[in-house]
Amino acid sequence: MNTALKLLLLAALLGFARGTAAAPPDEDAPKPDLKKDDDKAVVVPFELLDSRHMAMQVKVNGKGPYRVIFDTGAPMNIVNNKVAKAAGLLAKDDKPAPLFGASMNAKTIKTFEVGGLKLEGMQAMVMDHPTVEAIGKAVGPVEGLIGFPFFARYKMTIDYQKKEMTLVPNGFVPGDTMQNMMSKIMGAGGGKKPDPAVIAPAGVWGFAVDKDANDEGDGVKVTAVTERGPAAAGGLKVGDRLLTLDGRWTDSVGDTFIAARQVKPGTPVVLVVKRAGKEVKLTVTPANGL
Amino acid sequence: MRRRTALALAACLGLMPLAPARADDPPAKPERVLIPYRLTDANHLMVRVKVNGKGPFHFIVDTGAPAVFISKDVAKKAGAAKDGADGKEWIKFDSFELEGGLKVEKARGRAEDLVQFEGMNKMGLAGVEIHGVIGYEVLAKYRIEYDLTRDKLAFEPLKFNPPALIPIGGKGGDDIQSMKPMVNMMIALLGLKPNYDVVPRGFTGIEYDEKGGKVTIKAVLPGSPAAKAGLKVGDVITSIKADDVKTGKDLHKALAKAGVGTSWRFYLTRGNQDVEVVVELGKGL
Repeated sequence: MNTALKLLLLAALLGFARGTAAAPPDEDAPKPDLKKDDDKAVVVPFELLDSRHMAMQVKVNGKGPYRVIFDTGAPMNIVNNKVAKAAGLLAKDDKPAPLFGASMNAKTIKTFEVGGLKLEGMQAMVMDHPTVEAIGKAVGPVEGLIGFPFFARYKMTIDYQKKEMTLVPNGFVPGDTMQNMMSKIMGAGGGKKPDPAVIAPAGVWGFAVDKDANDEGDGVKVTAVTERGPAAAGGLKVGDRLLTLDGRWTDSVGDTFIAARQVKPGTPVVLVVKRAGKEVKLTVTPANGL
Repeated sequence: MRRRTALALAACLGLMPLAPARADDPPAKPERVLIPYRLTDANHLMVRVKVNGKGPFHFIVDTGAPAVFISKDVAKKAGAAKDGADGKEWIKFDSFELEGGLKVEKARGRAEDLVQFEGMNKMGLAGVEIHGVIGYEVLAKYRIEYDLTRDKLAFEPLKFNPPALIPIGGKGGDDIQSMKPMVNMMIALLGLKPNYDVVPRGFTGIEYDEKGGKVTIKAVLPGSPAAKAGLKVGDVITSIKADDVKTGKDLHKALAKAGVGTSWRFYLTRGNQDVEVVVELGKGL
């Protein structure tokens, strides 16, 4: 039973691939051509595969280079068993699951090199991802995916025209996706629906909004503006239709609170309201408070 | 435990559809647009999109996908579903607008129910319901800046026609999608039930200063629940219920899950006196 469960669970995480006709493999991948804009910005060229994926050359524990797909939609890095073996990621007693040769736990890569960057302690899952293999068959070898645990550490600019990615360390420490998932699964379960999440704004604004159940228009109605509050100071009025708050749509009461949750007290932001048929931009600075 | 690990693993990898197609969309007008995003609990970058004016719907920014994919349900809600659409035909959207004010011209997509989303959505693993992905066809038209230390992505249109999608060989999807019934059974066995509803926190109506381990009320908004309960400027909030308050953060934490209409006992120092005031939180922010 346990093995069967693992198999089908692993199955769920896999991408799907479709195609109609085989295309010739792409020409050889370009070698990484590193150039530095300054001490911190690193420009990494990428190859645009015929599958229209971004591909890069990486070294895993000094082995390689291997061609991997860069995927902003991948919450974890993945390398295949071939790379894992060559780079010594697998322990002797590691038994891959019978499906896709997947290992059940993330492996730590001692050194992971992309362009001129050398990262230590990067985590990756080991798996022969069938979509990656399918892409590899069509466009030439692809050995894995890199995603969130890599790019979250940088201010990253992707330019498909120049086929390059610019990376500047931003100090962000990516959370552990698996751990997030685990705590979710542990916290849930038992067939009970959890309570709805309470959305708490980061500061005090001094207004209230509402929306009728059958009101399908954009925005929410401003139903109250407290005297001498931040919203009043910014010119918000009862009867205004609030359309956006700091660029975020406010089409429901919940949306309005989610938008307000993002704004740090003391930060002036634009509220767009519809007033007497015209769109008006107001600037409101929420205060420390609640 | 291992089974749960596997389930978690199952839910969050592989948003990598692959599709044959052509594209000949012209670039949009050049202007840098800030696009609000949210990092889901599954570490996806989620942006909101109105499709044909309907929504907003939740899309993952996914360079691993060749194009826009949306769930069949969303396609229907947006009035974009064709009769008998089975994901093999392109749907042309009349409008495709990203939150933040970016209208993608001539956007198109495929309507497919991917097991990855269904699984994740049914388990509530991302903390938010996912309705689709935005892939290469749209992303390649912009120079995009990603920075997780900021709450917005920056999209700058490129004067450039991205190379069109081309048909390539590829299999491996159908067997995965056929796992759907089993994945659903697993989810049922584990008893995972997500709740995507949100409720606003209740409104107190104070501004405060924090200094030297004290949170002092700086303003009480007229007519607010705080004013009605008798909180006064100069009061120092020392605790709420059983939670000590020394910083603004403590105060926010104490009331983080306080819904509209709930009552909270504020312990205050007013001059030399200890005072207790019960505030019934109202509507607003």
